[in-house]
Amino acid sequence: MQNDLELSVSRRAFVAGSVAAAASPLLGALPALAQAKTSIAVRIERDITVLDPAFRGGPHDANVIRCVYQRLIKQKDGSVETELDAAAELKQVSPTLIEFTLKPGQMFTDGFGEMTAEDVKFSFERFAVAPVDGKISPYKGDWTGLTGVEVTGTYTGKINLSQPNAGLLAIAIADASGCIVSKKAVLARGVEHNTKPVGSGPYQVVSVEKQRGAVLKRNPAYSGAKPTFEEIKVNFIQDPKTAELALRSGELDFAVLPPAIAEPMRSAQGIVVDQSPGLAYVWLGINMEKPPFTDLRVRQAVRLALDVDQMLLAGFNGKAPRLNTLVMQPILGAWTEAPVYKRNVIEAKKLLAEAGQTAIKTRITILNQPSYQTMALVAQALLKEVGITAELDVQEGGTYWDAGKGDAGKNLDLFMMRFNGKLDPNFLMQWFVSSQIGTWNWQRFNSPEFDRLYQEAIVESDPAKRAAIVIKAQQEMDKSAAFVWLTNDVAFAVRRASVKPAYLPGALDWQLDRFTSV
Amino acid sequence: MSDTARYLASRLVTTLLIVFGAMLLLFTLSAVVPGDPATALLGPQATPEYARRFIVEMGLDQPWYRRLLTFFGNILVGNLGTDVLSGRPVAGIVGAVLPYTFILTFASIGLAVVIGVPLGCYAATHRGSALDHALAFISVAFIAIPSFVIAIFLLLIFSIWLDWLPVLGAGQPGDWLDQAKRLILPTTALSVGWIGFIARLMRSSMLEVMGENYIRTARAYGLPNRMVTYKYALKNACIPTIAVLGMGIGRLLGGAVLVEIVFARPGLGRLIFDAIATRNFSVLQGAVLVVVLIFVVTNLLVDLSYSAIDPRIRRDGAPQAAGQ
Repeated sequence: MQNDLELSVSRRAFVAGSVAAAASPLLGALPALAQAKTSIAVRIERDITVLDPAFRGGPHDANVIRCVYQRLIKQKDGSVETELDAAAELKQVSPTLIEFTLKPGQMFTDGFGEMTAEDVKFSFERFAVAPVDGKISPYKGDWTGLTGVEVTGTYTGKINLSQPNAGLLAIAIADASGCIVSKKAVLARGVEHNTKPVGSGPYQVVSVEKQRGAVLKRNPAYSGAKPTFEEIKVNFIQDPKTAELALRSGELDFAVLPPAIAEPMRSAQGIVVDQSPGLAYVWLGINMEKPPFTDLRVRQAVRLALDVDQMLLAGFNGKAPRLNTLVMQPILGAWTEAPVYKRNVIEAKKLLAEAGQTAIKTRITILNQPSYQTMALVAQALLKEVGITAELDVQEGGTYWDAGKGDAGKNLDLFMMRFNGKLDPNFLMQWFVSSQIGTWNWQRFNSPEFDRLYQEAIVESDPAKRAAIVIKAQQEMDKSAAFVWLTNDVAFAVRRASVKPAYLPGALDWQLDRFTSV
Repeated sequence: MSDTARYLASRLVTTLLIVFGAMLLLFTLSAVVPGDPATALLGPQATPEYARRFIVEMGLDQPWYRRLLTFFGNILVGNLGTDVLSGRPVAGIVGAVLPYTFILTFASIGLAVVIGVPLGCYAATHRGSALDHALAFISVAFIAIPSFVIAIFLLLIFSIWLDWLPVLGAGQPGDWLDQAKRLILPTTALSVGWIGFIARLMRSSMLEVMGENYIRTARAYGLPNRMVTYKYALKNACIPTIAVLGMGIGRLLGGAVLVEIVFARPGLGRLIFDAIATRNFSVLQGAVLVVVLIFVVTNLLVDLSYSAIDPRIRRDGAPQAAGQ
């Protein structure tokens, strides 16, 4: 009995000791005393795939890429205007010739030496003119018209174009496609360069791990302004709810979140929610080649049957601004006078009667995301009132993104689509030219006039004339009635109050190197 | 050939057939699932040339029988292929996340056993008591609540309200303390249902074993109650639990995906989920092969372990030996 007691006491002591030992790490989780932040954590919603500018996976990769590499010029904070970056001078000599001079002494990391004009030539030409190992970049379109880069000195060169490209500066040279890689590093590292990039920008990559993200640290050799934070953790967090909790707990400093998650965070202590119009465009498309939508009157009837404001109220809690045309502010060619179609059931029914279509059965194909599902349900109810019975075809991403492709695309009826935009009208218009039918032009919108205007806008360097052309192109789209524009989305950037982010309009393209402390 | 050797050989053959069947099924499903991998992976920016090249690199331009041969040929030589998007070997990608999944799965199983087995034993030996009824209620509740719901509640309580434990990820590489802290909540979330399940299973198994003749005989000989319960009854009552745990590891690997998403942890479940969503077949096939191997090897080990506990199982499981 005595032994049992001793054993029992000993066990208790052991358990107590174990609990104390187990609890001790928890103490480390207690909030640290306020001090200047040297490290921040930001959220990306897709995993990092490739940190090579020419083969990047999307905006999530580009946000890292832009602070790892330098460009000849780059966008100013929150602005469409640009400033010099790696270039000491950049001069548009003619619509088809741009001359540049690099700043000397810009060093690539990992001992790959100084940046020269040869690196610029290699970086730009590898998109399509001189692809390495025959690999043509998916972003080759950003460099439309590039015939080559002529190296005229160690730091000087000429960018030659076969045709003027008015969007070249904004889309390619000042953005991720204009990032300058080290020729030696790309050739030496091969595939490894995708996750161990060598740049000369404000940050360098410490590690990239599948499903975790990347860790960046300040590049001591960077010749430009020193960024505020020593380290940036770019965390891949798929679930927005987890991102919300991480922001609330202080583990995360910045994330772009859906409205439903971001809105309630306005009242959270230490959290700031910035709301800005997006650069994406969301619309309901109508397949012009599929009967009965081959008839213009039927398409017009669909447009008049829908109530965009009601759909946005349902899909975005009314937080997303209405879009009435393709090109939105602040992009050149924004058509501010675009018609705002209001719901008109009588007129819609009249048009359907004229077309001899009073009992249409159709299908709305959408991605399996809550906002689209809600908007489609509203659309379904609205269409029913004019005699159009629509069933919803909700598909997961892998299947959905194939729905309008090739011959399968001929069978599509109505669909909802969202594309990301950039600060150039041609970038927005490119998916609707006739050559995109069977690829991304799911409306099968076939307008020779639109195609002509699209080409004309590319080569027009006068901003006012270019804007007029872009507006005309949008009028062609409007005439077709194949597009019911919904919204350019809304970006909710949620951040800890101690961090001030920097990003371009739309909050899709971040400038991580310009994030600062508050 | 001894009973054990025959038994082992037959189980190994079965294991190989299961792996082959599973991979054949996976290949077939990958071939028939709608959705173009080039589109799903590359998005709208991809040029048609790049998309075509991508399809060629994935081997999707080849006839199905050639792809099937290549697929099995690669598996036989231990080549899981290359992720054409990042250019990295699939084995490396799977290998990078595998430790996280192992740690989470085994920690969850361990926690479930450590808590569930004693609870089940206690309930069985105190049948009809208030605590038995309470445990029955709690166990069923634990089983019924999905792990991701528990995960969110755990995060709200321990990370947000109390600010004790971190929310995100698996911790800094090399920092064991950080990794351990970040393991507590996901492990708890994943194991809660299993604690309830194991407790229920142990209780019914113990009650069944306690009614066996040899237990009554042991008691009749006057052996102490504690010895009869924990030395004789518990050993045999554990056999169904061990079998369930073997299956459980496979289910946990699959079930961990939601917990991994909620806690933003790397892991095999999440890797497979992403690979399906993006039609990244090379990664999908490599990751699933590893899961299948873990599953069948675990079950093989379980079979061997409980045949070691009860030799009758070994004989029943080897008909040739039984006939001798």
